[in-house]
Amino acid sequence: MASSSRLQILGQLMARYILGRILSLILVLFVVSIVTFFLMHQVPGGPFDETKAPLPPAAKENILRKYGLDKPIHVQYLNYMKNVVLRFDFGIPYQQPTTTVTALIAKSWKVTAQVGLTTVLVAFGLGITLGIYAAYHQNSWIDNVTTFIAMLGITVPSFVVALWLILFFAVRLKWLPMGGWNASESCLIGGAFICSDWIMPVVAYALGPLAIIARYTRASMVDVMRQDFTRTAKAKGLGNRTIMFRHILRNALIPMVTALGVIIPNLLTGSIFIEAVFRINGLGKFFVTSIFNRDYPMIMALFLLIAFLWSLTYLFTDILYTWIDPRVRLGAEGGA
Amino acid sequence: MTSEAAAGMNVASSSGSDKHRTLWQDAARRFLRNRLAVFGLTIVLFFLFLAIFADLVAPYPYDKVYFDRVLRMPFDLPGHPLGTDEVGRDYMSRLIYGARTSMTVGIAVQAIACLIGVPLGSLAGYMGGRTDFVISRFIDSMTAFPGLMFSILIISVWGGGITKVIFALSITSWIGIARLTRGQILSLREKEYIEAARCLGVGRNRIIVRHLLPNALTPILVAISFGIPAAIFGEAGLSFLGIGINDPIPSWGKMVGVSNAYVRVYWHLALFPTVAVALAMLGFSFVGDGLRDALDPKMME
Repeated sequence: MASSSRLQILGQLMARYILGRILSLILVLFVVSIVTFFLMHQVPGGPFDETKAPLPPAAKENILRKYGLDKPIHVQYLNYMKNVVLRFDFGIPYQQPTTTVTALIAKSWKVTAQVGLTTVLVAFGLGITLGIYAAYHQNSWIDNVTTFIAMLGITVPSFVVALWLILFFAVRLKWLPMGGWNASESCLIGGAFICSDWIMPVVAYALGPLAIIARYTRASMVDVMRQDFTRTAKAKGLGNRTIMFRHILRNALIPMVTALGVIIPNLLTGSIFIEAVFRINGLGKFFVTSIFNRDYPMIMALFLLIAFLWSLTYLFTDILYTWIDPRVRLGAEGGA
Repeated sequence: MTSEAAAGMNVASSSGSDKHRTLWQDAARRFLRNRLAVFGLTIVLFFLFLAIFADLVAPYPYDKVYFDRVLRMPFDLPGHPLGTDEVGRDYMSRLIYGARTSMTVGIAVQAIACLIGVPLGSLAGYMGGRTDFVISRFIDSMTAFPGLMFSILIISVWGGGITKVIFALSITSWIGIARLTRGQILSLREKEYIEAARCLGVGRNRIIVRHLLPNALTPILVAISFGIPAAIFGEAGLSFLGIGINDPIPSWGKMVGVSNAYVRVYWHLALFPTVAVALAMLGFSFVGDGLRDALDPKMME
């Protein structure tokens, strides 16, 4: 009886905590939308500037009226938000007026998601493996190599690594294509080796997170290996494999959830650079071209999307953390 | 760093005789024994030297264009050991002046971050209550902003240029330092010596500046040494995308970005600035690691 009511209280706490976090997420998105909107409209030069398209004044007035750009800014903002909230309508991109913003994002999103997903898989798979290996063979050459890669991956920016890869594998050895991204499904299933243009972007992109993951894993493995329960497990005569998977790895991977919260949001913005270097037509590239073209609706939508995903990952990792590790007290830090 | 000296003197005067080594001497000793840290420091000092004396070291002005020497490979012409760029400027000179851009941005951004972060963080940590609540919520909501995207947006609004890049990067860079300072002050505030100072009638500002901050200084110092390469990365990233530093001021990031179009043949355009960026980031990170190990004896095993 007592335990069930305790669980109920815990559940209520959890529900209240999540609700509070979701409310603050909405608030953040609201603030982001306001700040972005007003900042954006300060950008020198409008989308229909005279230098770009010399128009007769009447025609220009017509265009401005069509897009609602002749109204005061706060009215424009309210109209925009009304459309977004009520109809999920983010407007029409100025760069391709024949489609909608949502359609354009839906089209280019797939490529970015493919890049990101493959990168996360590679980074976590390789990172955890390297970290475990390094922890089991401390101060061996593999440990030293891992430390070195980790150092390189953490400090050197991804676009620098990307250019080094291009210089070596594409220019010098001519093994891999300079850029591009084959978006066909077979690449995702058959691995990057079929579509060789996946290799360099993923490697350059994954190196940073891989380094962080390998470092985290190694440190937390070493920490757990020193704990009493590991010694007890060994004393009980359990096999090495059982100890590793059932006792060490399980506990060592808890801090990885925090790493996840750091890595995924950074991946979202990091894509801009990778897509620029390898000429991949994803969201990141759209972001840059939209800024150059002062494509307000596009910038706005992309910014909201990224802010949304960004706060969502933070929320998810926090919930995951409290769920995995019962030692973490709900709301103990006041959400800080 | 005057505060550093002040903290050192505090320790020195309390220990009395000069046979005792101060905290900072101890730290310097440990730092210099760390080979990687010394290597990092050498790189950092080298780039700082280039940045300060660029006018003397560089063989050509950074914006001098030679129309007859466009896109020359390294050692192609006797006067241009690292070749020339796509409009015929000496590449080595531009790399040297690029160090000035990187170092200026890195140091200035962290200076601003400290000027905002340390006072806000210490105020929140020391005052507690409503002040803390407001400042902490503000910090939290700033964390929800994707920092780099925000800088990109700001730069596209304000236009490029070194001061604007510095301010755009500063807007989010103070958050970590403020949070760190708050945590430090929060844990130090209840210590006996603070209570003693309070009993003696020492004012709030004096307690913060003279008693709390010197003791909270080491983690902040480490955060700064990691913050500088982050700011250098930010500038390089913005310039790489073509919206950071404006021509003709050289920036490594911009050189990398431009080189992307020429990489198939003119590999030197891509290689040298990427190596420069990587070295600078590695150097500062090694120094940061070394500082952390040297200043925190508990970390040593």
